[in-house]
Amino acid sequence: MKLFTRYSRINLLATVIVFLLSGIAFYFLLQYVLIAQVDEDLRIEQHEIENYAGKYHRLPEIITVKDQHIVYTAAGKNGGRKTFSTLMLRDGNKKEKELFRQLDFYLSTDTGWYRVTVSKSLEGTDDMLQSIVTITFITILLMLTITLLINRIVLKKLWKPFYEALTAMKSFELGKKGQPRFPATSIDEFNVMNDTLRQATEKAHQDYQNLKEFTENASHELQTPVAIIRSKLDVLIQDEHLSEPQSLTVQAAYEAIQRLSRLNQGLLLLTKIENGQFDDIASIDLAQKIKEKIIQFEEIFDAKQISITQRLDDSQAFSMNAELAEILLNNLFSNAIKYNFKGGNITVLLKKGSLEISNTGPLAPLDDARVFRRFGNIGQAGDGIGLGLAIVHQVAAFSGLTARYKYYDQQHHFLLTNN
Amino acid sequence: MKLLIIEDEKELSNSICAYLNSESFVCETAYDFNAAMEKISLYDYSCIILDINLPGGSGLEILKELKANDKPDGVLIISARNSLDDKIYGLRTGGDDYLAKPFHLSELTERVNAIIRRKTFGGKNIVRIDDLVLNIPEKTATVKGKLIVLTRMEYDLLLYFTGNKNRVISKGAIAEHLWGDEMDLTGNYDFLYTHIKNLRKKLMTAGCPDYIKSIYGLGYKFIV
Repeated sequence: MKLFTRYSRINLLATVIVFLLSGIAFYFLLQYVLIAQVDEDLRIEQHEIENYAGKYHRLPEIITVKDQHIVYTAAGKNGGRKTFSTLMLRDGNKKEKELFRQLDFYLSTDTGWYRVTVSKSLEGTDDMLQSIVTITFITILLMLTITLLINRIVLKKLWKPFYEALTAMKSFELGKKGQPRFPATSIDEFNVMNDTLRQATEKAHQDYQNLKEFTENASHELQTPVAIIRSKLDVLIQDEHLSEPQSLTVQAAYEAIQRLSRLNQGLLLLTKIENGQFDDIASIDLAQKIKEKIIQFEEIFDAKQISITQRLDDSQAFSMNAELAEILLNNLFSNAIKYNFKGGNITVLLKKGSLEISNTGPLAPLDDARVFRRFGNIGQAGDGIGLGLAIVHQVAAFSGLTARYKYYDQQHHFLLTNN
Repeated sequence: MKLLIIEDEKELSNSICAYLNSESFVCETAYDFNAAMEKISLYDYSCIILDINLPGGSGLEILKELKANDKPDGVLIISARNSLDDKIYGLRTGGDDYLAKPFHLSELTERVNAIIRRKTFGGKNIVRIDDLVLNIPEKTATVKGKLIVLTRMEYDLLLYFTGNKNRVISKGAIAEHLWGDEMDLTGNYDFLYTHIKNLRKKLMTAGCPDYIKSIYGLGYKFIV
């Protein structure tokens, strides 16, 4: 639920309750005032009758007035104090009974005590009451609507900086150039929020830059010792007195240094891609590149007795960096060969906007949440350096492709699709 | 033939020297920019192995100086910065070849040999070992004038061996030379064996001695 909706709901409920309560109070108050008014009229009538009786010692003639009845009843004695009452009476020859306010009082004349009953129809007051209440409710409704509308417009305007900041944050991505831009606002709270966000993103960006620089520098610095170790091993194996166990030791050292070197190059490559150093985009004929790769790795396929199934749609050009395309295919093929078994199969499918490389392999389905993460498959996937698929993912992302992994028909499928 | 190794890492420089120093090569070293500039102004070298990042200046400046003075020295650039841009820039500036660190010394030797062959023999670029003759531009191998039919891979392998004769080449170095370093083949060189076996068989059938010797599990040696 939106903040605004929740606020409106609470606001509306409170307003309605207050208005309803005040409406009810207003109704009763009005009724009380109107009846007091009628009672006053009745009292005036009583006064007039009493005046007349005091002057002439007889009862005045009954003059028929609309909505007013006067009835004299012989009482014989004084019946007590005057009383007001509200009751239903039939007005003249009308069929329906109506609400009347009635005053009874006793009057002494020459001919004895009389009870005088003066009744006044409340129909007019009732009508008035109804009109007043209706008008009040209409006013309330109107006011509510207007308040809501104003709230809506004003709140929307007030919250605008918040939504703008939100949009800016949404488009913020670590590693991408440019910091999110937060619009200036005159509201203190939003300024505080924007400042905090700005600091947080700048800090994140700075940390990220530092980390990236560190990775790049570390990788560069590692190259030299790796180069020295490798060269020393190359010199060492020239020694004719090297025994077989020593040779095996050197071999193991070779392999370790080879892994270290690859790992290092992988990290450097990832950093370079993140730095956007491969911004030279061209239209790449992937079908041609794939064919070249298959020829390049022919001997390896033969040695592992891996059969290749290829269905390549020649007309598909992908716009990406040529070097990255090369790296992408190398990594995909390396992966498909390395985690295959003797006599296995690799399928390459190139269609409109998608490339799929599938391979048979002894590995259980990989964890697709981790498969493209750096070192995400370590432990699962044997002796790899753990960066091959991370590089695939990074190259794909940089080239506007989405990398996906699926496992079905006992095959690992790596799918790249155009975004 | 005289080689100059311009490399600030002394240990790497030492290894290169130790590996290259043989009957045909004499190595000199320069560890910084100024020493290198002095050497290139005083002497001519068959090939210069040039590192880009040097104390005191950039290796590319040395390369520009060489070209400005019309020196005939071949130049092999070695750099830790392995990117296509660096490679293209280095070659455009006048380098004959580019090798990214870390490299195998056998690969370096092969590249140095290739540069010297190109510079020295031009179109008549051949390698001769006893009766075996490799014609580089035509990519053919003959024994006593008789052609040996080799696959592309076997030819590359043979050329690589002849460029590193009497030295042990590790299996990793061979695989990297044949398939490039982009292919992650760590620890799995079984398929190399087949190619080497076939090459050996073809050479011996053509009348060559058994040049290629396996050195334990480590690698191979082309013995002349």
